[in-house]
Amino acid sequence: MADLLAAIFDQVHTRNLSMKVLNNSAKALLALTGMVFTHSAFAADTVKVGVLHSLSGTMAISETSLRDVLLYTFDEINAKGGVMGKKIEPVVVDGASNWPLFAEKAKQLLEKDKAAVVFGCWTSVSRKSVLPVFEKNNGLLFYPVQYEGEEESKNVFYTAEAVNQQATPAVDYMLGKKKEKFYLLGSDYVYPQTTNLVLLEYLLSKGVPIENIGGGFKKDASGKIISAGKYTPFGHTDYQQIVAEIKQFSAGGKACVINTLNGDTNVPFFKEYAAAGLTAESCPVVSFSISEDEFRALPAKQLVGQLGCWTYFQSVKSDANKKFISSFQTWLKDTKVDGVKKEGRVTCSPMVLSYDGVYLWKAAVEKAGSFDVDKVREALKGGLSFDGPGGKVTTQKNMHLTKNVFIGETKADGQFKILKEYKDVFGEPWLKGTFKAK
Amino acid sequence: MIRACLSLVFFLALELSGAVAAGPAEVVAKAVLLEDKSEEQIALIKELDPTPELISLLTLWKEGGIFLLEGPSNTKIPVVLDPLKGTDDKQAAKLLATGLPHTDSDGKPARLIASDLNAAETDSDLRTAMKSILDLAGLAADDRSARLQAVETLGMEQDPSRLPALRGRLEKETDEEVRHTIREAIALTELKSSDPAAVVIACRTLGELGSIRSQDALKAIAKDSGPTAKAAQEALRKIELHLQAANTWGTIFRGLSLGSVLLVAALGLAVTFGLMGVINMAHGEMIAVGAYTTYVVQCIFGPGLELSPFGIHITLPSLKTSGWIYDSYFLVAIPLSFLTAALAGIALERTVIRFLYRRPLESLLATWGVSLVVQQLFRLTFGANNVQVASPRWLSGHWTFSDVSLGWNRVFVICFAAAIVAGVFLLLARTPLGLLIRAVMQNRSMAACMGVRTERVNLLTFGLGSGLAGLAGAFLSQIGNVGPSLGQSYIVDAFMTVVVGGVGSLFGTIFSALGIGMVDQSLQQILGNPVLGKILVLAGIILFLQWRPAGLFVSRSRSLEN
Repeated sequence: MADLLAAIFDQVHTRNLSMKVLNNSAKALLALTGMVFTHSAFAADTVKVGVLHSLSGTMAISETSLRDVLLYTFDEINAKGGVMGKKIEPVVVDGASNWPLFAEKAKQLLEKDKAAVVFGCWTSVSRKSVLPVFEKNNGLLFYPVQYEGEEESKNVFYTAEAVNQQATPAVDYMLGKKKEKFYLLGSDYVYPQTTNLVLLEYLLSKGVPIENIGGGFKKDASGKIISAGKYTPFGHTDYQQIVAEIKQFSAGGKACVINTLNGDTNVPFFKEYAAAGLTAESCPVVSFSISEDEFRALPAKQLVGQLGCWTYFQSVKSDANKKFISSFQTWLKDTKVDGVKKEGRVTCSPMVLSYDGVYLWKAAVEKAGSFDVDKVREALKGGLSFDGPGGKVTTQKNMHLTKNVFIGETKADGQFKILKEYKDVFGEPWLKGTFKAK
Repeated sequence: MIRACLSLVFFLALELSGAVAAGPAEVVAKAVLLEDKSEEQIALIKELDPTPELISLLTLWKEGGIFLLEGPSNTKIPVVLDPLKGTDDKQAAKLLATGLPHTDSDGKPARLIASDLNAAETDSDLRTAMKSILDLAGLAADDRSARLQAVETLGMEQDPSRLPALRGRLEKETDEEVRHTIREAIALTELKSSDPAAVVIACRTLGELGSIRSQDALKAIAKDSGPTAKAAQEALRKIELHLQAANTWGTIFRGLSLGSVLLVAALGLAVTFGLMGVINMAHGEMIAVGAYTTYVVQCIFGPGLELSPFGIHITLPSLKTSGWIYDSYFLVAIPLSFLTAALAGIALERTVIRFLYRRPLESLLATWGVSLVVQQLFRLTFGANNVQVASPRWLSGHWTFSDVSLGWNRVFVICFAAAIVAGVFLLLARTPLGLLIRAVMQNRSMAACMGVRTERVNLLTFGLGSGLAGLAGAFLSQIGNVGPSLGQSYIVDAFMTVVVGGVGSLFGTIFSALGIGMVDQSLQQILGNPVLGKILVLAGIILFLQWRPAGLFVSRSRSLEN
């Protein structure tokens, strides 16, 4: 309401006074009589969209890139006329790598700013923190980063990779390469723990005997496995022991490492790995948390030949991707947004999934003919497609995305050489307990 | 890099042979064109003699250095690129089969950009076939490590047809380790034999060799029954014993190296905190100063560096070195990181610490503040992301002695720690400056009465402590992250080491660093959990300090007497 008056007031002070006032007053009346009073913001010709990422603190390194790509996407859409004739007005808030603060900021976006949709979150814990806020206010969050599954909220659309769009295809690829032994290693938090439990079930269902799965198991009193693999805390620096263990584990050949280590702990791990004489040939490492963007801070030389698995690589050869990369780079050069790093920028899967998310939301709004969250959700569930930089993505009934999955091999320049593509993989969040051991 | 060299070698070969090139290149070109039909491809390449030319061709293919161009009417043309890149990133292309330059539609020699092209693909069956050809050739390689690797992979294949080649090599081989590996490879292959007696002998050999590599294969045999299973079980027992010995030695080595890391990080603090009694929370940042110095030196030796702190644009020159000169950057970085950190320490002493010598609590707060400021300075200068410090080649290999692998960087840290401990000891015990330092640290007023310029000694001692931290930074850049918060991850460990060792006792610091390292690694080995070990060490230290609050080696120190 305040926005509306402000908009009118602005216009009054510009040219064509009388006409504008009349025109806007008419619009205002229409609005006031409750024609389209939705959950969303309803200023004269803009729609408010929330951006909820950490722009400071430990996660800022990763999440700032997503803020940048979102602002770029909004500009791109606005330049072409916006969404249903309305310009996107981004409301950027800083979650500051502080999980309770994420919930507060989400509340502000939904209750005060009345954002029609929010794009945000990186870590699973930040998503879990904002979830009740979105459910209470019936908001809509687009979540773009690989996650562990076991969740399906009607207020979240997961453009993210589910476990079967990253971890299990990677394992399939390794099995296809005649690998028989799998060492599980990760950072100690919910994503690696859950993913590795799912992978354990998956490997057993593929006939891999349990003694061929390395890293150790933790069992509860009844003998049920509650944790599989080796875990180290964030900031761990001494990987000597673990690497020595992997070396013995892989001595007989046909072994590989499934790595869910996060962030810069990968540096001491890979340095130790290389120093122990382990190579991508003798025992390849498949990493799930190292994308092109993370590579900017990793010693690429030590990772050459190691594998990654995502639903997008910058090296995807398609016209859509070429166009995306070049216009994003142009935008970076021209943008006047504070704190945008201009040099040495790359694109990666979470960025592209953010980009895809905005376009899918736009398509859903246009299909629904409304910004109303319930109507947009119904449109999203109806199976919308978008030809993104990583290929075609299609929304699913369970609020996930069907998309292509790529296996890539790291090169010295920090890019991936694509080795294999799995087309149109259905995103399935509920995997635990679905694989039956042989 | 290897690929570039290979394509250079091959390209020169093509150049020399020119249009008359025949044989391997032609056949390989034919094979490349049979995309997706790996069986036919394998049949083709297996017929060829393993000449050096074939080896380089196959390696090039395997590494994605052969490209397929779209020819007229849906045909494809296999080409290789000249490794010399033009300024526009374009490379000259030559036909694989003939070695003639590839021409575009106008008849001019084509220049292409590698990243736009489609490399000829290989699938895993084909790569396996290529590898076995390459490995057979590798058996006769001059390079010891290439031979070793070839033998290892041939053994792993367990293919009886390789036995003659392996046995032939065993007779000629003189290197003890390669001989060991060949015997292992032969025995491994014999495990597949249909003759139970041969299998039993092979098991026995593997057991004697303590072959970790054969464990998986032996386990499969041990599950059956009969004499072979028995022999396999016996072999597994022997290997297990060998493994235990290897693990014990490995743990000792790893403990020693972790202890050395702690020692290197704590030694500077042992001087500033231990001798001088200054609680210096910015010690971690002095380590980071050393690490960043290493980074800057590396950049100057390599591609140069552009920095823009506070909007001021600084371009550091590039020496554009490569090879062994580039690899020696680290030798230059070591003294420089000592110097920069020492200078930073001296500046810190002049501006903050000299006012706080008698007020340990205030110095704690003030230096903590300094540490935050310095971290922010790093962020403004070098960015919030970690920077990459590449290890020189002479630090990135390893030795293996009966399955205990000793990383060169780890051996280096042990020697490095020993060297700086010796240096500090000599400085304190054998030089006039050392005498002054000890005098001032024991009793400042008395030393001043004797005409010692205590201010100056304080300054130099603090500079020495900070410089030692800088040395630690130079080394830590080789094993971990270099980022603004580098110091934070070592400051707690450094204080812990000094306190356990006994404040004021250099010998105590050495003892406690090695002790903590050993206990930590042993617990990790026994518990199989990287976190639990550390927690137990910390808990142990807390209990230990209850019992001996002054640490392992109690010594007299000015600040603690009051």
